Amino acid sequence: MIKPIKKILVANRGEIAVRVIRACHDLGIVSVAICSDCDRTAYHARLADEWYHIGGSPSSESYLNQDRVMQAVKDSGADAVHPGYGFLAENATFAQRCVDEGITFIGPRPETIRGLGDKLVAREMAIKANLPVVPGTDMGADNPDEALAFAKKIGFPVLVKAAAGGGGKGMRVVESADLFQEALDSASREAKSAFGDGRVFIEKYLVRPRHVEIQILCDTHGNHLHLCERECSIQRRHQKVIEEAPSPIMTDELRERMGTAAVSIAREAGYVGAGTVEFLVDQNRSFYFLEVNTRLQVEHPVTELVTGVDLVKEQVAVAEGRELTLRQEDIRLNGHAIECRIYAEDPSGGFMPSTGTLEHYRLPAGPGVRVDSGVLVWSEIPIYYDPMIAKLCTWGRDRTEAIARMQRALSEYRISGVESTVGFHQVVLANKKFIAGDLSTGFLQEEYPDSNYRTFSPELAEDAAIAAAVDKLLNERRITISQSGNGRSRSSGWVRHHRRENVKRLGGKH
Amino acid sequence: MSRYSVTIDGHEFDIEMEYRSDHMVATVNGRERLVRVHKLQETRALLVIDHLSHEVDIQATGDGGRKIVFMQGTEIPVAIEDYNLAQMRKAAGIGSEEEVDTVFVAPMPGLIVEIKVAPGDTVTAGQPLVVVEAMKMENILKAKGTATVKAVRIAAGQSVEKGEPLIEFE
Repeated sequence: MIKPIKKILVANRGEIAVRVIRACHDLGIVSVAICSDCDRTAYHARLADEWYHIGGSPSSESYLNQDRVMQAVKDSGADAVHPGYGFLAENATFAQRCVDEGITFIGPRPETIRGLGDKLVAREMAIKANLPVVPGTDMGADNPDEALAFAKKIGFPVLVKAAAGGGGKGMRVVESADLFQEALDSASREAKSAFGDGRVFIEKYLVRPRHVEIQILCDTHGNHLHLCERECSIQRRHQKVIEEAPSPIMTDELRERMGTAAVSIAREAGYVGAGTVEFLVDQNRSFYFLEVNTRLQVEHPVTELVTGVDLVKEQVAVAEGRELTLRQEDIRLNGHAIECRIYAEDPSGGFMPSTGTLEHYRLPAGPGVRVDSGVLVWSEIPIYYDPMIAKLCTWGRDRTEAIARMQRALSEYRISGVESTVGFHQVVLANKKFIAGDLSTGFLQEEYPDSNYRTFSPELAEDAAIAAAVDKLLNERRITISQSGNGRSRSSGWVRHHRRENVKRLGGKH
Repeated sequence: MSRYSVTIDGHEFDIEMEYRSDHMVATVNGRERLVRVHKLQETRALLVIDHLSHEVDIQATGDGGRKIVFMQGTEIPVAIEDYNLAQMRKAAGIGSEEEVDTVFVAPMPGLIVEIKVAPGDTVTAGQPLVVVEAMKMENILKAKGTATVKAVRIAAGQSVEKGEPLIEFE
């Protein structure tokens, strides 16, 4: 039965809300934005057809608050909800509530989200579907002694992970037994705060693995297909920062095996919609099941760029009850795509969030460039949410061209007012190992142990020194002028210099 | 004529600035560079140095001579001071102000989750001091060097702003 969707409430903010609103516009579906106090004039709130303010800035009072979101659904008369990623995207209770109220939830069934969202249940399901898994245990914070004994048995380093986790939250690598208890406690506490569920489990930590994931797409008619892989090995604090498709280590044979594995767990779980099956791949190209993300992934654009499939449009079609028009044999890879996540963070300060106002913001463009940005110039970067402000993607015929275009696009990006990861990406994209495709999830720690990503050329340093000197000189002149003249001047050195240049052109003297 | 001492990433530049008819001349460590300035916006300008084009944005970081120069997509932290003052300071053997840091401030706004030290404790570089939750992530703030804790200025559960003093060292 096909139930066409007329109006979608986008239960999210930032770049992913913008992405979904764009798909609505492409499809001729009315889009509804929700916003918190500090997001009243955010880009997503400006771009959507309809605007609903739902509460305070903390996400618990707005984007994570199911009552407030459902009220906006009712008030707007939306017949569907797209949850984006994060917030309520993998909340089975919320998905169930939509179903109960006759609202289409654009995502998998609530019971699928509940099952796969629990990493322990997902692991069981993977074993049942004959997927290889990493050695591990479900013993956690409630039984620290046994957990420690198990950790010693499989050998350090081990990984402590939140059962309800995602996005690196509630995850700790533990190098030795004496650090075990603290990691267990802090991971459990972080998991409780982020997901309301403090259960953690322990896994063997693979050395120098690569993170490779398979995009899946399934309909309600029993069709399950995969859209090849993405490699997401460049991570900091277990969060992906650079992703690409295809993976530099992929072979047709390995892709076939991993794709088949991903489809089998999708079948086992009765999966509907778009999702991602994550794997770790070791040095011998053996792969191990990690987890299934029951949402649209942050890094979905790289798959869109190499397959030509609009994943959000496919999600909507599946949610309407349509049968997929794509078949596995239609999925062909064309070229190479890379994504750099642009965060408002200070890379040299341990990636601490940087908040403030984007005093200048200019996006790169040109051949092969796609930017999914959630902000505009003068946007405020609030402290309440994830500090990712945009995703910069480039496409090329091959990896070399995609990298060259990324380097060019990064050099065009202008962000000031907050610290950003643009400079960090420039450094990584120029790294010889990165260029050679020699990646692992430990790449950043190995290559940049002291987190120094500010390696600029001596020539650039000298020119920056000149810029600082020019700025100081002009500012000193300003002070002299303002003291002798008509009180305080608010104009900067640049402005004053410009005025003086104009006066000169008119025949004045200085 | 103005003369400055600029430090970037440990490298020092001695720069003399001079106005000419329609441009400036920057003499950097004895080498002349021709500079033209075209204003764009409040803090931004197009700087043409020997015909190399740079769009620059200079932001003050709060304390005196420290600035961030945004150019070529890179953020470059810069310390600038008057050349003569810098020479006097060096002759007197006084370090730059950052070495006399006795107050550990919050590097970001957030919620204090846990305080791992108490007055009288001696900490070493890398030792966890405070756990702060910001943007749903727990960040462990670590000591930058060896010091003795004099006072803890915050309590668990408290929200702090960027730059707010957290811990005082002796």
